[in-house]
Amino acid sequence: MSAQAADTLEAGKRPDEKKERADKIDFKMVTFSLAGKEYGIDIMNVKEIANAGRFTYVPNAAPFVRGVYNLRGDIISIIDLRTMFHLPAERKDDDSLESLLILRVEDHAFGVIVDNIDKVVGVSSAGIQPPHPIFGDINVKYIKGIIENQGKLYIILNVEKLFAPKDEVPEQEMSALRRGPAPVAAPATMVAPGPAGDSGPVGDVNAEFIRETLFAFRRFGVSAVNDGWFKARYTEWKGMRKPTDLQLREQADADAYLETFYSRCTGELWSEDYAAAVVEALPKVESRSINVWNPGCGKGYETYSLAVALRRAYPEARIKIWANDSDLLAISMAPNMVFTPENVPEHYVDHMVKGRNGYTFNQSIRESIFFEFHDVMNSNPVPPVDFILCRDTVSFLSAADQGKLFGDFCEKAKQGGAVILGTNERLPLDGWRRVGDGPAAVYVRTA
Amino acid sequence: MRVEYINPFVESAFNVMKEVLQADVKRGELYLKSTSMPVMGVAAIVGLAGDVEGRVLFDMDKPTALKIASAMNGEDIATMDDLAKATITELANMITAQAVTKLHELGFRFDLTPPAIFTGDNMEVSNQDVEALIVPMEAPQGKVEINVAIRERA
Repeated sequence: MSAQAADTLEAGKRPDEKKERADKIDFKMVTFSLAGKEYGIDIMNVKEIANAGRFTYVPNAAPFVRGVYNLRGDIISIIDLRTMFHLPAERKDDDSLESLLILRVEDHAFGVIVDNIDKVVGVSSAGIQPPHPIFGDINVKYIKGIIENQGKLYIILNVEKLFAPKDEVPEQEMSALRRGPAPVAAPATMVAPGPAGDSGPVGDVNAEFIRETLFAFRRFGVSAVNDGWFKARYTEWKGMRKPTDLQLREQADADAYLETFYSRCTGELWSEDYAAAVVEALPKVESRSINVWNPGCGKGYETYSLAVALRRAYPEARIKIWANDSDLLAISMAPNMVFTPENVPEHYVDHMVKGRNGYTFNQSIRESIFFEFHDVMNSNPVPPVDFILCRDTVSFLSAADQGKLFGDFCEKAKQGGAVILGTNERLPLDGWRRVGDGPAAVYVRTA
Repeated sequence: MRVEYINPFVESAFNVMKEVLQADVKRGELYLKSTSMPVMGVAAIVGLAGDVEGRVLFDMDKPTALKIASAMNGEDIATMDDLAKATITELANMITAQAVTKLHELGFRFDLTPPAIFTGDNMEVSNQDVEALIVPMEAPQGKVEINVAIRERA
């Protein structure tokens, strides 16, 4: 693209553009330093700045609460951010003054002690970059973002998160931070720093790590779709592994953890009883044409299995299956899959023909399936469908993407249509009813 | 996009470019895209109709287009004149036509529209609804991206 950039430069557009970007200052922050690093706080949260000292000590308060202070008649709590973030702080003697930011969060005012208050910096909010997960000193969820301004990097703190009311802080971690038996001296909305903020699904830091690493290694998103399985598996996992060896360090660990997740008959043609159970659970289709959408079909085994199962159940119907996957290698093999008759369940053989290299499905089955290289996160051009076959696919999306795909399910499924999910998945939506409790998780649309 | 359509496009792009440029052409990793995307400077577009609807877009920057036109004509072309444009159009036509011929042999019926060419700076194609398969081709003359968006007629 260098040529294009050069062209633009010739036309003299480049400097204008840059100026325009620099002019768009829509975020102002008060900057300060903590242990030599630069930080910023949204100016809308800062009521004023002050120098003050001689705070009134409050017994049994959390270590980061330095005391209370009388600010022109209002009593405010004073929090030492350096202690809160476990940064080195120079303890001045009692008479000297500390640099204080008076913050306003909802209706509460706090005084926050920092090393040095610098100035107000105006930046463009478009330039704020998300925090990197390996920021050492401060838990990443308290960071709104990072911005560069005149050669300095500022870490913008998220004041709302920092001082937000949180009640699920485990008691033992809270009291560990307090000296003594912990009467409430800190403001009620105060939250302890560190991992105490967001307790995992089973209230366990390890579970939280596993949740993160499953997504990082295998893009497995723990959510309402599968957290039942996740919790049960975690308990099982704790029984299998040494306590020091719980976390998933590499992809192989993630695969081992996910071993029990996959539905029956994954990566092979469905056995006759599984196929029968699926068809049994599906609502009857009155029309002579059956449309199916199969997102995440992988190599196509489940697509062929369902095509044959539906063909057997509805010999006269016109069956159309739109099967797609974003794995190019897997899906490329699907249209021309070759089998040996000894290796497939018997009921498939009737629907196969002998070719040069072995048996393939006959024309009627093959013509009923469209295999597409397609990413379900892009727009899904399938017509309204009777069934959606989506086993063990939704779980491998982030929570936000899962929500989007469910939205498409609701848009594409006909009234009375059904979704088939993986054995360990459930559909966390209103207006869908689970049919039976067989090995196939079938949900029928009721509204 | 149907799996059956992918290979004909990749193969014919590879074969045609290799033949007309008489050079070593490399194929990049295929991927899908649906957001609006910038056009590098010269874009030839061929529409498809028939069993399917869609379009194929050949995207390259201006120096690449000039070098390819020069190589195909066996003379030095320095500006994006009519000859250069006609040459790039012809390249687009050859690749698409060969792909469609292959698809025809497989039993898919497509018709082509005559190619059109767009040149300019800071262009962008947006069609949020259509997912495109991107086939990046790396030739000594530069990078050509073939952007194939086809869908079945519902």
